[in-house]
Parts: sequence; structure tokens; C-alpha cells
Amino acid sequence: MNNRVPKSLPAEIRPSLFSGHDWIALAIVCLTFVIPFTSTNPQVLSQTNLILIAATAALGVYIMQRLDLMSFAVPSFMAIGGYTVALLSMKLQLTDVFVLAAAAFLMPALCAIPLGALILRLKGVYFVLVTFVLTEIVQLLLFEAGPITGGSNGLVGMPAVKIFGMELWDNPHVLLTTCGLAFVSFIVTSVFTRWFRSEFAAIETNDVLAESLGLAAWKYKAMAFSVAAGVSGLAGFALVNMLLTAHPSSFAPMSSVNYITYTIVGGKASILGTLIGALLLVSATDYFALSGEMSPGLFGLLIIVVTMVARGGVVGVVSGLLYRLAGQSPPLKNGEQDLGVNGEKGQ
Amino acid sequence: MTTHSLSAGALHADRIAKSFGGLKVFHDVSFTVPAGGLLGVIGPNGAGKTTMINIFSGRLGLTSGQVMLGGTRIDGRSTFEIAMMGLVRSFQHTAIFNGHSVETNLLSALRFSRRDRSVLERLSPLLDQFGLIDNWQRNAEVMPYGLQKMLGLTMALATQPNMLLLDEPAAGLEKSERANIDTYVKFAREEFGCGILLVEHDMEIIKRLCPSVIVLDGGRLIAEGPPTDVLSQPHVINAYLGGSDEEDSDVTH
Ligand SMILES: Nc1ncnc2c1ncn2[C@@H]1O[C@H](COP(=O)(O)OP(=O)(O)O)[C@@H](O)[C@H]1O
Ligand SMILES: [Mg+2]
Repeated sequence: MNNRVPKSLPAEIRPSLFSGHDWIALAIVCLTFVIPFTSTNPQVLSQTNLILIAATAALGVYIMQRLDLMSFAVPSFMAIGGYTVALLSMKLQLTDVFVLAAAAFLMPALCAIPLGALILRLKGVYFVLVTFVLTEIVQLLLFEAGPITGGSNGLVGMPAVKIFGMELWDNPHVLLTTCGLAFVSFIVTSVFTRWFRSEFAAIETNDVLAESLGLAAWKYKAMAFSVAAGVSGLAGFALVNMLLTAHPSSFAPMSSVNYITYTIVGGKASILGTLIGALLLVSATDYFALSGEMSPGLFGLLIIVVTMVARGGVVGVVSGLLYRLAGQSPPLKNGEQDLGVNGEKGQ
Repeated sequence: MTTHSLSAGALHADRIAKSFGGLKVFHDVSFTVPAGGLLGVIGPNGAGKTTMINIFSGRLGLTSGQVMLGGTRIDGRSTFEIAMMGLVRSFQHTAIFNGHSVETNLLSALRFSRRDRSVLERLSPLLDQFGLIDNWQRNAEVMPYGLQKMLGLTMALATQPNMLLLDEPAAGLEKSERANIDTYVKFAREEFGCGILLVEHDMEIIKRLCPSVIVLDGGRLIAEGPPTDVLSQPHVINAYLGGSDEEDSDVTH
């Protein structure tokens, strides 16, 4: 070799656990705690409630998207969480919010382990199909298992949940419960997805390579499916708590389209996208007074439009603009600056 | 911990056969790569070289026979399990984590194989020579093909394997870049004590590096020995003349 001075390794820059987007999302969810204490407007309370529940449910989709899997299973796990809470509070008089939240998380998370073993081998459209069939089956079970689920009547007349023995029964208190569940879900999801971000990103981009380097991909897929189920279960708890009823129609299979739309329209690259998507679309649904039957069709259309013109969704477009204004290039997937060719990365 | 007793790390294929439905790819193939040793594999396109690497690395099952790594039978085990036992493969086509920087790609390799950053320090002469340090923070996906390929190879080595399976490492490289493969193979053997199974179409590389080669053709192992001897045998020459367009078509194949 010639006498070129050998270059040594650049120093390691440890990326922080949370990205800016994570912090913004967590801050927004945190701010919603103010609403139950400052507002008595029923419209504001119920809209905030709906948005937070929608965002929490959509986190179940967001987690599976880390693995490039599109999950339609969210309503099934919401139902498992919601009915678990309804049964515990009505049949066993368990009303402590912490006990119920733990049950609403753990029950679906545990159910997801054997289910995951069956379906996590599937990819792409096959995974979509099987998760959709799963929600149909769960829906059918809710109607057919009358003695437990109350069949088409659902479980009506749940007692109010309690925190430290205090009843959370009026509208602001119900919203407070939802805020708490949403906050826990956002924390769990962001810590979980960021902690294992190398593993998830590797499985998403090239699972064959990841396994050939020694990564047990199935473990991470199983964990993700289980945590996604748990978070969906918390959304189910919040929904049932708001309606004081567990009813099959709250967990309609078509609602999975909504949750998927929130993540894609908001921007599926970050947890902030899920929150913004839910915020915008739930508000729009209310503003335009869209009926329940119409929204899946419109949302489907919206997904196609966003996928074609702005893959990064609302958050992607806005942060792209901000980077351009600041004269910087957007970061690579794991948060490093791309100092080379500034290629557009269509995923 | 780079030296292993011969039997401990050797890769041994014992009468292995593979068919896909009715298509018999190969049968009755046996050979051994000693621990720390180097065995070349040549044969026309479609001879089953990649299939063999897929089997050793746990992506495909065997039809019959068995594969041993040291004293352990490895056929039928999962890819990550075999990788954790120290047998790691590279890919014929570039295989990297697209959309991520060179650094992230290498750190992922370390993380998944539970190695620490000190391995990178040891690899830094290679990283420097291949031009990867100059592209450290660059999106690996937009780098030239040759760099991507060297990155993939270096990631395999970053797992600190005992046995490397290289699937046509020089395929798609410019002639001027091919010396990198020599450097890589020598480095892996000398610094890491790695055994290597080298599948390669470039006969110059095979002759330069491999003390011994096997030839796969028509589903069988048709010759075995030092490259110069093997390559002068009439039936080996025939096998290659039968598919003489390999050398150039391997880029697109
Ligand atoms: N997964 C598979 N399913 C069916 N046939 C396959 C599969 N993989 C390889 N083959 C066939 O096996 C033969 C050997 O292929 P391969 O191992 O890629 O050859 P080589 O690497 O020596 O060029 C080819 O005929 C190929 O078409
Ligand atoms: Mg091949």
C-alpha cells in the first residue's frame, strides 16, 4: 500500500432514545390532562375522548408497521380488553382503575402469543387478510357467546371505575381515565419501539439478512404483536369506560380501516403521525358529520391519495418543509444525517 | 479466542442431497472445510452453489444427508441459531439494510450477533481500505454497487464467525475492485481465524486464494483438488464450456 495515513473509525454518536417527534407526541398527550380540569363543555370533552381513544387504538397499527405488517386485528384486541374490563367490574366488582388497566393490557397481550405463533409467519397481503378474518371471528364470538358477552345486548350497566377508592363517574372524570390510558399507551409504545428500533428496522428492511447475522426475528415479531395487542386492549378499556357498555358494535371489523388510516395519513414514520392522524380525521369526521358507514370508503380513498402523493403523511410533509426552510437535509431512518447523495427514500 | 481445534470448528457436508419437488439440484455431495481452512467451490450457473449455502445457513432444509459444524448437526436448525453458532453467510446480490447509514448497518451486525464495538476497531483497516470509513454516515442504499457489496461482506465478518460462507463475493465488482476480495479473505483468516467456503466464478481469485476447490456440475461433485490441477481436467473444462457465458452473466444472474 502507499503511504496514505490510515483513517480511524469516527467516534460513536449514541442517538437518544426518543426523537423530537416522540417528545412532541408525548407532550401533546400530556397536555390533554388539562382539559378535564378546565373544561365542562360536553362537546369538547367527548371529542377529546374520541380522539385519544382513536389514537391509542391506532398505536396497535403503528407498532406492527415497524415490522412492515399491516394489522387489521386492532378491534379484536380492543374487544378482548374492553370485555375483560366489563366482566371484571360487573361480575367480580373489581373497579380499581390500575387493576382494570393491567387486565385490559395483559389479557389481549397473552391471547396474542398463541395467535402470533400461528400468523406471524405471514407477510404482506396474507397477514392483512388473516388479521381481518380474525376481527370477523372475534365479532362473531361476541354475538354468539351470549352467556359471557351478553350477545347482541352487550354488557350494560358497568359500575364507574375508581382511583384510590374515588369514583371516576362524571364526564371530566371519564376523560381523565382516557387521558391516563392514552398516556400509558404512548409511553409504552414509544419506549418499546425505540428501544428495539435497530431490530425492527432490520426486520422491516431485510429480515433475511437480519436473521443471517444472528437476529431471532420471530421473537421481536411476537413481542410486537403482543404489545400491540396490549395497547389495543387499553383503547378498548377506554372505549368501554366512556360508553359504560361493552357492545360488539364498538369493535366492528371495519373500524380497523379507520385506525390504519390515522397512522398513514398522519405519517407512519413516527408516533406523532398516529396522534396527528387521529386528531385530524376524528375532528373531520365530526365536522362533516360523516356517518359510520361512509367513513371506511372515504378513508380508503384518503389512504390511496396519501400513498400516491405524500408518503410521509402530514407529519412527513410538514417536517420536510421545516427542514427545507432550515436549509438542512432530512435525517436518515435512524436519525443520522445523510451527508452523501441526498436521495429520496420512497419506502 | 480465534483458534479452534480442527474438529471443533470444521464444516462437514455428509452425502447431502437437495431437490425442489421434481427438480434434483444435487445429490451425494460430501466435503469438509477444516476449521480456519479455505475451500473454493466452482460450477456453472444453476449447479446449486447458492442452494448449498442456503442449506448450510438454515434457510432451506435438506432432502437427505447431514451437515455438521464441529460436533453439532446443524441442518434443519434456524438461520439465527446457526449464525450464533458461528456460521455466517454472505449474499450473492448486495444485502444491506437500505435507507440506513454504513455505521448503522455495521452496528446492527454487531448488535444482532451480540458483539461489541471493539470488533469494529479490529476491522477498521479493512473499513478504511474499502472506502467505507469515507462513507460512514452515508445512506448505504445510494452507494455504488461495489461499496454495498463490501459493506455486506464486512457486516458478515463483524459477527466474528468461525466459518464464513461467501456466495460469489466478486460478482458485480469492477476488475479494479476485485483485489478487495483477496484482502478480505486473507484478513478474515489471519485476523479472525475464520474458516471460509468460497463460491466464486472468477477463476483468477480462486487460483490466487484457494489451496483446494471442489467442482459442482450436473448435480454432482465432479472434481476436487488444487485449482490448477482441477481446472486442467477435461471434464471440468467441458462443464465450463457447456456454460461458457457464466463469467459475464453472473452480474445479472
Ligand atoms: N427456492 C427454490 N425453489 C425451486 N427451485 C430453486 C430454488 N432455489 C434454487 N432453485 C433451482 O435450483 C437450481 C440451483 O440454483 P442455485 O443454487 O441458485 O445455483 P447457483 O448458485 O449454482 O447458480 C436452479 O435450477 C434453480 O432454479
Ligand atoms: Mg448462485
